Amino acid sequence: MSTFGKIIFWVITLFVLFIIVAPLAWIYLTAFKAPNDIFTTDVKKLVFFKFTSENFQRLFREFPFWPNFVNTIIISAASTVVVLVISALAAYSFARWNTGRGHLLFTTISTRMFPGVVAAIPFFVLYRNLGLLDTRFGLTLLHIYFNTSFATFLLYGFFKEIPEELEQAAMIDGYSRVDIFRKIVMPLVRPGLAVTAVFCLVWSWNEFLFSFLFTRVTARPVTVLISSFWGSIEVQYGPMAAGAAIVILPTLVIAWFMQRYIIRGLTFGAVKG
Amino acid sequence: MSKVEAKNVWKIYPRGNVVAVQDLTFTCNHGEFLAILGPSGGGKSSTLRMLAGLEEISRGEILFDGKVVNHLGPAERNVALAFESYALYYRLNVYENIAFPLRARGMKGKEVDEKVRFIADMLELGPYLKKLPGSLAGGIQQRISLARALVRRPNVTLLDEPLSHMDQRVRHEIRARIRHLHDELGLTTIYVTHDQAEAISLCDRLLIINEGRLQQIGTVEEVWNRPANKFVAYFIGEPTMNFIPGKVETVQQVVILTSSGKRAFSFEPHTLPEQYVGAEVTIGVRPQQIEVSREGNRTNTIPGTVKIVEFQGDRTVLTVELDDLAGSEVKAVVSAQERYVEGETVWFYFAPSIIRLFEEERLIL
Repeated sequence: MSTFGKIIFWVITLFVLFIIVAPLAWIYLTAFKAPNDIFTTDVKKLVFFKFTSENFQRLFREFPFWPNFVNTIIISAASTVVVLVISALAAYSFARWNTGRGHLLFTTISTRMFPGVVAAIPFFVLYRNLGLLDTRFGLTLLHIYFNTSFATFLLYGFFKEIPEELEQAAMIDGYSRVDIFRKIVMPLVRPGLAVTAVFCLVWSWNEFLFSFLFTRVTARPVTVLISSFWGSIEVQYGPMAAGAAIVILPTLVIAWFMQRYIIRGLTFGAVKG
Repeated sequence: MSKVEAKNVWKIYPRGNVVAVQDLTFTCNHGEFLAILGPSGGGKSSTLRMLAGLEEISRGEILFDGKVVNHLGPAERNVALAFESYALYYRLNVYENIAFPLRARGMKGKEVDEKVRFIADMLELGPYLKKLPGSLAGGIQQRISLARALVRRPNVTLLDEPLSHMDQRVRHEIRARIRHLHDELGLTTIYVTHDQAEAISLCDRLLIINEGRLQQIGTVEEVWNRPANKFVAYFIGEPTMNFIPGKVETVQQVVILTSSGKRAFSFEPHTLPEQYVGAEVTIGVRPQQIEVSREGNRTNTIPGTVKIVEFQGDRTVLTVELDDLAGSEVKAVVSAQERYVEGETVWFYFAPSIIRLFEEERLIL
């Protein structure tokens, strides 16, 4: 690469990096600022300011942050587990037996092709009648519904990668279908399962629209709480940034440690599927 | 070790209504090495998979030692199958791969160890037992796959193109090992391949299948000398059998029409049934059996012009355009010492014993 090429490369890289990092930096800086420092026009104070934990204290004292945070954990963990069980079996069936000759797989995937809002009204009416509004169970179900299609699609690619002969060899060697699935197939798709789990977890963790529409108090996840700081009179940047700082921390950590698998999942499983 | 029989076996794939195997009947005797030979997509693998129990039998019966096994799963049939792609368990080391079928059947401890070491010794896998198969060469992987297949003394050993992913040298080595194991362990082996050289060098009997239909079953000599039809005649032998259009003149003579009249070929002492006199036939002669000379205007000869001379080291293959009306191209194998040049006229002599006659597809002489 020429010197000019290198310069262009780094300019673009830094620009992209800035776009990604700047909001995160802003959140983490703001979370530790006093209200005066947040609204000041002094550029120097953007980075150099008096460090305070007041925002966090307010967040924990005045708002139901921890109960909402627990809701997020329960809903995303529970939905991810269920999604993995359902979609692993479904994807295996699609990949190995071509169940439904592609039509069923397409139908499954197509649930992700329309905007989620389209489903919101019928779901709302249904949920109201069933008494599922503002329940963790109800929101978990919705997350399962939306994640299953994507997870099935992703896992389908991973299952397709496993040579059929391997299963046939195991069959001849004396394994039952169930044994083959558990002991031959599952260990081979473990990286795929990990990737899928991360995607589902992150999606569910960040999900806002349905959480906002279907919960009020008891089942409210933390994303909705954070949005509530954006009031009609004022925007409470302090607690908002503090809440966001805590909520995005686990996803950042997961993304960091799983990046190798996630990239593989994006380029390999999905594309070949 | 069993006798394997297939009785009127059909395989019809419901999707697209593809008939892969049609009315196939054959027997593989106890201790026999049978090769199933045919072109790709001819129904070989479907047959093998039905024998293994991996594929349902659409019609007909498969019997092991006289017992119908149609309803039994692969494990219950106690067959061994070595795959073209090896299909090893890459997360397990070589030892565990070989031990797998034993453990899957609940065998434990010392018994497993004895059996694994016995078969590993036979296939000289001792040094690799602790390694992962993914790190080993293709030839060794196929040996592991064979060891895994044979460790539990199967009723019948099925080999599905086990050599096709290997280079020439390794291929020869494994080929010899397979035959050695078959004899040593007294196995009944069915070997699927599209490579005639492989089949001929290994098997006791050949089964040739094309488009799902049995073409011929017999020893190598039978198939070579008396191919049941033109397909078999063409499929077995390298270079392939030559076909020249001709006409039956008498019950002991056939003629080839040339620009300068008929050339007669006698096949005494054999005789054809009277009904064939006057019939249009195809004369089949093997390139290896044709006698080539520079002159020889006598009976059972025909002249031609050399088109291509292929020197192959131990032999030379001539492609000659015959003087007949059809302008047939005929190949002949001559010894490497004999020098011929392109454009030269040569005479082919077809001895009476080498002449084969086909009416339509079927062998009549």
